Amino acid sequence: MPRLTIDGREIEAAAGRTVMEAATDAGIFIPYFCWHPKLSVPGNCRICVVGVEDKGGEWVEIACNMPVTEGMVVYTNSEKVRARRKATMQFITLNHPVDCGICDKAGECTLQDYHYEYNGERSISVDAKAHATKHYSLSPRIVLDNERCIQCTRCVRFTREISKSNGLGMQNRADHSLVRAVEDGSFANDPYSDNVIDICPVGALLSRSFLHKARVWYLKPTASVCPGCSRGCTVNLWHRRPEWRLRAPGMRAQNETIDRVTPLENPAVNGPWICNKGRDIAKVLGRARAETAMLKGRPAELQGAIAQARSLIAAARKPVAVVSSWASNEELAAFKAALGARFSVLVKADHEPEPGEVVQDDILIRADKNPNTAGARALFGEAPLALPPDADLVLVWGEGLDFGLIPAGAKIVYLNAWLQPENGHADVFFPTSIQTERDGHYTNFAGVTSAFTQCFPRPAGVADAQALFAALAGQAGGGE
Amino acid sequence: MTMPGRKVIMNFEVTPTSHSLEEYRARGGYATLEKALKLQPADITKEVTASGLLGHGGAAFPVGRKWGVMKPIPGEIHYLCANADEGEPGTFKDRWILENAPHLLVESMLITSYALGVRHAFVYIRGEFDLPYRRIQGAIDEAYAAGYLGKPVFGTDFALDIVVYRGAGSYVCGEASGLITSIEGRKPYPRNRPPRLTVRGLYQKPTVINNVESLANITGIIRMGAEEFRKIGTAKSPGTQLISISGHIAKPGVYEVEYGYPWAKFLDEDCGGMLHGAKMKCVVPGGISTKVLTRAEIEPLTLCHESVNPAGSGIGSGGMIAIAEGTCMVRLLQVLLRFYHHESCGQCTPCREGMGWMHRIIDRIVEGKGVPEDIDRLYAISAANDGTTICGMGDAAGYATVGILNKYRDEFEYFITNRRSKFDGRLECLA
Amino acid sequence: MKHLIPEFEKMKERYPEGFESSLVLPCLRRIQEDRGFVAEEDIVALVDYLKVPRIQVEEVLSYYTMLRRKPIGRFHLQACRNIACSMRGAEGVIAHLSRKLGVKPGQTTPDGTFTLTEVECLGSCGTAPVVMVNEAYHENMSTEKLDRLVDELAAGVRAGGK
Ligand SMILES: Cc1cc2nc3c(=O)[nH]c(=O)nc-3n(C[C@H](O)[C@H](O)[C@H](O)COP(=O)(O)O)c2cc1C
Ligand code: SF4
Ligand code: SF4
Ligand code: SF4
Ligand code: FES
Ligand code: FES
Repeated sequence: MPRLTIDGREIEAAAGRTVMEAATDAGIFIPYFCWHPKLSVPGNCRICVVGVEDKGGEWVEIACNMPVTEGMVVYTNSEKVRARRKATMQFITLNHPVDCGICDKAGECTLQDYHYEYNGERSISVDAKAHATKHYSLSPRIVLDNERCIQCTRCVRFTREISKSNGLGMQNRADHSLVRAVEDGSFANDPYSDNVIDICPVGALLSRSFLHKARVWYLKPTASVCPGCSRGCTVNLWHRRPEWRLRAPGMRAQNETIDRVTPLENPAVNGPWICNKGRDIAKVLGRARAETAMLKGRPAELQGAIAQARSLIAAARKPVAVVSSWASNEELAAFKAALGARFSVLVKADHEPEPGEVVQDDILIRADKNPNTAGARALFGEAPLALPPDADLVLVWGEGLDFGLIPAGAKIVYLNAWLQPENGHADVFFPTSIQTERDGHYTNFAGVTSAFTQCFPRPAGVADAQALFAALAGQAGGGE
Repeated sequence: MTMPGRKVIMNFEVTPTSHSLEEYRARGGYATLEKALKLQPADITKEVTASGLLGHGGAAFPVGRKWGVMKPIPGEIHYLCANADEGEPGTFKDRWILENAPHLLVESMLITSYALGVRHAFVYIRGEFDLPYRRIQGAIDEAYAAGYLGKPVFGTDFALDIVVYRGAGSYVCGEASGLITSIEGRKPYPRNRPPRLTVRGLYQKPTVINNVESLANITGIIRMGAEEFRKIGTAKSPGTQLISISGHIAKPGVYEVEYGYPWAKFLDEDCGGMLHGAKMKCVVPGGISTKVLTRAEIEPLTLCHESVNPAGSGIGSGGMIAIAEGTCMVRLLQVLLRFYHHESCGQCTPCREGMGWMHRIIDRIVEGKGVPEDIDRLYAISAANDGTTICGMGDAAGYATVGILNKYRDEFEYFITNRRSKFDGRLECLA
Repeated sequence: MKHLIPEFEKMKERYPEGFESSLVLPCLRRIQEDRGFVAEEDIVALVDYLKVPRIQVEEVLSYYTMLRRKPIGRFHLQACRNIACSMRGAEGVIAHLSRKLGVKPGQTTPDGTFTLTEVECLGSCGTAPVVMVNEAYHENMSTEKLDRLVDELAAGVRAGGK
């Protein structure tokens, strides 16, 4: 294990590590644009220069491609390093547009940050800026601004090395090089394409769904888990900060909506990536909600519904429960504690693959399109979803069950979050909360458990399943 | 072109058929290969190292030292590439070898491949070359037919395949790692070192890349032995240099110059002096990426590394360009910066942005819209490209620029102040 | 492109195994020689034949100056504008050609006979100025020699020959 000194701090690094990696591991920051821990090292941006002591002098080289050696003495902020970094920043900003005011990346842009940190001066060029394509459509999901692109090739390498779609390339040469999508349009089919928006160090790659939607400093990330498949990628759900809520009447939808989804890096599950379905999860979570309890399709008070359900459960000879694979571990445990002994329990898939959706690949996407099948099965076993013909009460939890499978004559108690036709067919219907309205955990296909956190208040009239089960079992509390 | 002094390469009379296998064999061709195959591979590398042969591609890196990194481990894959990209403006010497002595290159590549444990070798030739391509491809085809290539040769188990790989118009393909990426069929982005190409080169396998002229010397070195070879040239620059001279010179062409030959004599006598009897202003010593030297500066110099390097320039690629008095150095630099801008691969920041920036500045000066700070800016951009880029291209553009600015700053100041050239923007040499 | 596959197969023989990607450039050169440019159907067929990512072929096509995806004139006049040629009158050569053909560098004559292009050093500086006509180098050019050359080529076209 070579030992080296960075800015006077002695550190140890595994042989074969680069100075960039060794520094990062030791918590020492060296600026970078093109380097990315999960991608190959092109060493093209040249911002990561460091000084290395050499025979009394100092030579300056890029840190991201420099292997550590025993006894190496490295400076990340010497005079030479500062001068060279500044010159590099001047090159990078030479033809960069002054777009921050209308750029979605502003506020989380590496170039902005580094400009203040390492340059901070006005342009030294007297020539007009060179222009390039703006608002170029890379795919139906992504817009490219070539003027803002600093040609770090992170996006290109991502499609080559991670998503393997080979969907992007760098066309032409010199300062008229352009990021472009492959002409057969196949970049549009890369189910991981939107990751390039995150890894772009500047605002060159823009999400069409987020385009000019909000300044990022009005938004707040809440840690969550993507429910799109049993990988359970950890994500940040971005929504308006409470202090920046829109005050005008009728703004609840804007204030309580997920504006964008980004990966929450997690070495145990998804690394720094998620798939496009995760990006679009707001569409799934934003469907019309059921907000009123019902008895045989007629609106009812929650308390009345609870009383009715309780008596149906008490009267049943053969009650069967079909639990949700979108329920949290906490909710599932609450069900088991309260009603587990009373019911025979089956686990269902709330969601099946949609037509056209990638079913499974060897990157992230799993065929099971539910986030907590593993959590549910851990409590309720692997039994196939076959309803016994003599069941006389079926408690269905969550969407996705064909009600035609329920034996004729059996009573139905239904818990669902969405406004769906089945709701009215149940003897008792309870509207339930969704992931963004509560805290909880999911366990993914590999047994890794991840937490999600509440973003928005639970709407009035919607029951919290955890409390509801206790009430149905006859304990105190009423689900609200 | 005829030249006094001893020869290693241009040592036969060129006729319409002198490039053929038959005539090459009549001159003793492929006898050295037979001799080499009786030596141990390591002994060949030892001999080449002892010869002191310096690379002729531009950097004058010792050939033996490069080869020494590659250990011919049996079963390991190694590659050899002859660099026939010849892209450095002012350089056309490798073309002479390809056209007139293609079998010398083939024989040398066979010997080199044997020394380095290479089974597959490449000649990377610039895309525009047509006759040179046909000549080298023809020689290789002849060598296949004669059994020197494609199967075990001279009763040994050593066999070699050579592919001629044609470029398609790009200067950075002459840079060793750009060349390799080009042979991999991809956009020819040069690569960062480490790793060195002799450790991980073509398709990540150890690869030696040498200039055509460097390789063409190998047959001679093995034939005469390192000791004899060292008697040619000077102690620090053994052997000869093919110099291709162009510009305002009376007898442009390719000359084989024994290292240590007086520079002024070479120009005034062997090359017939300046065109139309003009006075000489300065000379580009070895390709445009070497710094210009004034006539006064070269007066005491001899053509060898130890004489030219201390003068602040280099023998480079041997692409010498003579420039007459009355030539506008501002417009000349414009031509060069346009070229560097055109040829930057665009991969790394200082070169990609710097080349375009310098080109825009010089264009503006020539339009009569220069500002005094432009000169400092050109210096600063050059400095910011010195040793900061992935390949030597950024550095090269800086050297060319600084070389001209250092010596002809007054012409730039004149152009900026008076909004016109001190020499009518002239590039040609008037009769 | 498909009719060239037997040729490509033969070319492959001298390459080491696993060098399919290397064939991209020689195949593109050969296709262009055959058709005059590289067409969309060639790209599709080549990607299918070599099993390389299409983006690689697109990048290569856009990078190299000698490759093109659109047809050009029957005679491609490529005039060197680099240092040695400029010092021997290349600017005059290019201006003269431009006037004579009535096109700017980068353009093709309306009858599709000539395309004029400015190029960088062709490695023929000793015989400057140099103009390439298709594959052939024409060295030590002068306006008189150019006139003769262009007139001969044009006459050949009018006579229906090559
Ligand atoms: C931008 C650039 C262009 C180059 N072009 C050529 C070239 O055309 N021919 C050549 O032999 N070397 C060229 N070189 C030098 C090569 O990188 C390499 O050093 C050389 O081929 C090694 O051969 P040698 O050691 O035998 O000289 C170039 C270098 C750079 C940086
Ligand atoms: S990419 Fe960054 S620096 Fe450029 S306009 Fe956008 S926010 Fe500003
Ligand atoms: S678009 Fe962004 S990620 Fe892609 S090369 Fe440009 S700056 Fe880098
Ligand atoms: S120095 Fe220029 S040519 Fe070389 S890699 Fe960088 S951008 Fe490309
Ligand atoms: S981060 Fe090292 S060169 Fe870009
Ligand atoms: S400058 Fe024209 S061929 Fe070299």
